[in-house]
Amino acid sequence: MSNLSDFSSQLSPKMKMADAINQYHSLLTVLPRLGIPLGFGEKSIGQLCAEHRVSEPLFMLISRVYCQDDYFPTANELQQCPMADILQYLVSSHKDYLENKLPHIEHHLNILLEPMDKKYSTLISNFYAEFRKEMEKHFQYEEEVIFPYLRQILSEQEATESATYQKNTFHQQHDDIEDTLNDLSNLLLKYIPAEVSPAERVDMLLDMYALSNDIAKHAMMENRILVPYIQLLESKRHD
Amino acid sequence: MTKIAIAEPSSMLRIGLEQLLRELPDAEVVFSTDNLNALYARISALRPDILIVNPLLFDYAKRATLRAEFDQLPNLRLVGLVTAYIESQHQRQFAGIIELNDDFQRIKSTLNQVCNTLQTDNEDPDTAPLSDREKDVLICLSKGLKNNEIADQLNISVHTVITHRKNIVRKTGIKSVAALTVYAILNNLIEEKDII
Repeated sequence: MSNLSDFSSQLSPKMKMADAINQYHSLLTVLPRLGIPLGFGEKSIGQLCAEHRVSEPLFMLISRVYCQDDYFPTANELQQCPMADILQYLVSSHKDYLENKLPHIEHHLNILLEPMDKKYSTLISNFYAEFRKEMEKHFQYEEEVIFPYLRQILSEQEATESATYQKNTFHQQHDDIEDTLNDLSNLLLKYIPAEVSPAERVDMLLDMYALSNDIAKHAMMENRILVPYIQLLESKRHD
Repeated sequence: MTKIAIAEPSSMLRIGLEQLLRELPDAEVVFSTDNLNALYARISALRPDILIVNPLLFDYAKRATLRAEFDQLPNLRLVGLVTAYIESQHQRQFAGIIELNDDFQRIKSTLNQVCNTLQTDNEDPDTAPLSDREKDVLICLSKGLKNNEIADQLNISVHTVITHRKNIVRKTGIKSVAALTVYAILNNLIEEKDII
């Protein structure tokens, strides 16, 4: 516990980007979504944010969510981040999942299932296909219902009733996605016979754990940042 | 080793309690917070055996159904840390109660009692394979039967069905019926044609 809070006091715009990433590897997935390429030499977080026109408070907010499990932003920290930037980050995360992470896992899965009896392999690939559909549906719901609603509140127009999001559904969907991913890893880890594609399976599981971790952080961004942000804006409107 | 988590708004109390519990040889405080959100965020990953929680952290309306907040952790034992008057029907949700002026001896015996109930519940460890009855329930689940239909077919109560289901999830680590069906087929418990 104390290590984490020590780190968060170090994690500042002055810190070297390379140091931050060496310490917290999961930040590596965040950079391309913000358009910060690798090969940045000794530059600090602040310098790189300025160079690539990324909001520094946003970068800090995302990094804290990734590095600190019990991080909850203060109202002040939230207000420093332009909502449009947060939404843009979330949308590019969705894109990253669908265009990079999932195809990568699928590639492993196909090789892995290849030597198996058709009747088992079809079962697992169908289960995976369902999971993928579930994920796509969830992202679509966010991008077509929730985010437009937010943009509406932001532009201070009257939000239409139909666009009102359901906080509970939101939470529930995140839990479901994580549960399904977890179920799939357990199936692959525990119940597929030992002789089936051992090396491919390790690779696939490592990818799945990384994805699962990233999606948990993504859900935290939405549950701990987006939802409080909506509440903040809604309460302001009602004043 | 018994894993204990603490949720108490007063840092003085929380840190004091942590200090006391450190003297228990077979217990470990794995998490301590003054904040419900942080608790919710961490608790499923940490899986403590006992949560010592001040009911005042919950809104009055939620206090009566506080146990339900932790439904996804059926093996978690709740111990109430009572610092103000709490209605007796709310107190009944706790496996034990620690009061502000309890001495260490008393706290120890409360926790010991709660631990004993833990052990009797855990007779069937996670590492045991599914029992025949659990397999029966799993087969019914894969065929798309609901709890009450399974109860009828196997001649057991719905409550027992639910207990078997919890054990299946605990042992396999698999939650969804869809994935459990895949499990059942992989383990040749059912044939693919049996699924609707």
